[in-house]
Amino acid sequence: MSAQNSAGIQLLLDAERDAAKIVQKAREYRTKRVREARDEAKKEIEAYKAQKEAEFKKFEAEHTQGNKAAQDEADREAEARIREIKEAGNKNREQVIKDLLHAVFTPVPEAMAAH
Amino acid sequence: MSQVHALSDDQVGQELRKMTAFIKQEAEEKAREIEIKANEEFAIEKSKLVRQETDAIDSAYAKKFKQAQMSQQITRSTVANKTRLKVLGARQELLDDIFEAASAQLADATKDEGRYKDILKGLLLEGFYAMNEPELAIRARKADYDVVRQAAEAASEEYKEKTDKDVKATIDEENPVAEGSAGGVIIVGGNGKIDIDNTFEARLNLLKDSALPAMRKALFGDNPNRKFFD
Repeated sequence: MSAQNSAGIQLLLDAERDAAKIVQKAREYRTKRVREARDEAKKEIEAYKAQKEAEFKKFEAEHTQGNKAAQDEADREAEARIREIKEAGNKNREQVIKDLLHAVFTPVPEAMAAH
Repeated sequence: MSQVHALSDDQVGQELRKMTAFIKQEAEEKAREIEIKANEEFAIEKSKLVRQETDAIDSAYAKKFKQAQMSQQITRSTVANKTRLKVLGARQELLDDIFEAASAQLADATKDEGRYKDILKGLLLEGFYAMNEPELAIRARKADYDVVRQAAEAASEEYKEKTDKDVKATIDEENPVAEGSAGGVIIVGGNGKIDIDNTFEARLNLLKDSALPAMRKALFGDNPNRKFFD
């Protein structure tokens, strides 16, 4: 009888032990999941950051290019206008000098109102 | 006395099986709960972390973009400015060159004595009218003293005709105009304190300011941006 009893009790003890193992496994799973959350989050964040950085670099590259183009165009425009100025200058230079000298040599005496 | 067995061996076995099954079932239910909770926590924690960090990244990059745009605008504006300065510099060069050329030709007026005398008379009269004093001093180049004296006489006569006033204009021989000057006179009044500089150089210098609008028009045409003409 007692042998049977102890066999029965042993069965129950074994069952309890197995049950504890099952629960323990679940707890370990839970711990693992917490770590996984952090790891996956980290990966996603880094991917997002890399994407943003790529967007930004593209923006910068476009605008550096734009700036250079603007500078070149500005230089060209400046040169064209300077050429215009020089041409206009040469065309009218003599006349303007004459006019200036005429103004120097032509006094305009005007009587002021007498007191 | 031995106990009465309430249960047969089979029944015991059955009971044991039921009990172990129950223990196992309870354990598995508990395990499942734990797993479900674990997955929920995973999802919440992960999305919280991601959202926090991506918000921070977004605001950092928003700042970066804004700064890049600003520096872009600054560059554009600087380029535009430099261009303008270049063009204005070219204009100024041209104007300076013209004034220098004119300056070199100032001496031409003195070659013809008759013409020079007329010019001097006009210059002196300008001074007489402006000063409106009975006694004035004239400063001139040493080489011009004679022709200036003659011009002064003619000028005083015309002054008397036009204003009915006398003016005594004498050459101040102690203070001649510098040798390098191209010509012209200086009229001094107010007890030596006021002078009207009518030398050719001084007149040309005045034109550097006053003649600019007319010169601009003659050289470069009208300014399409100008709005006020009074």
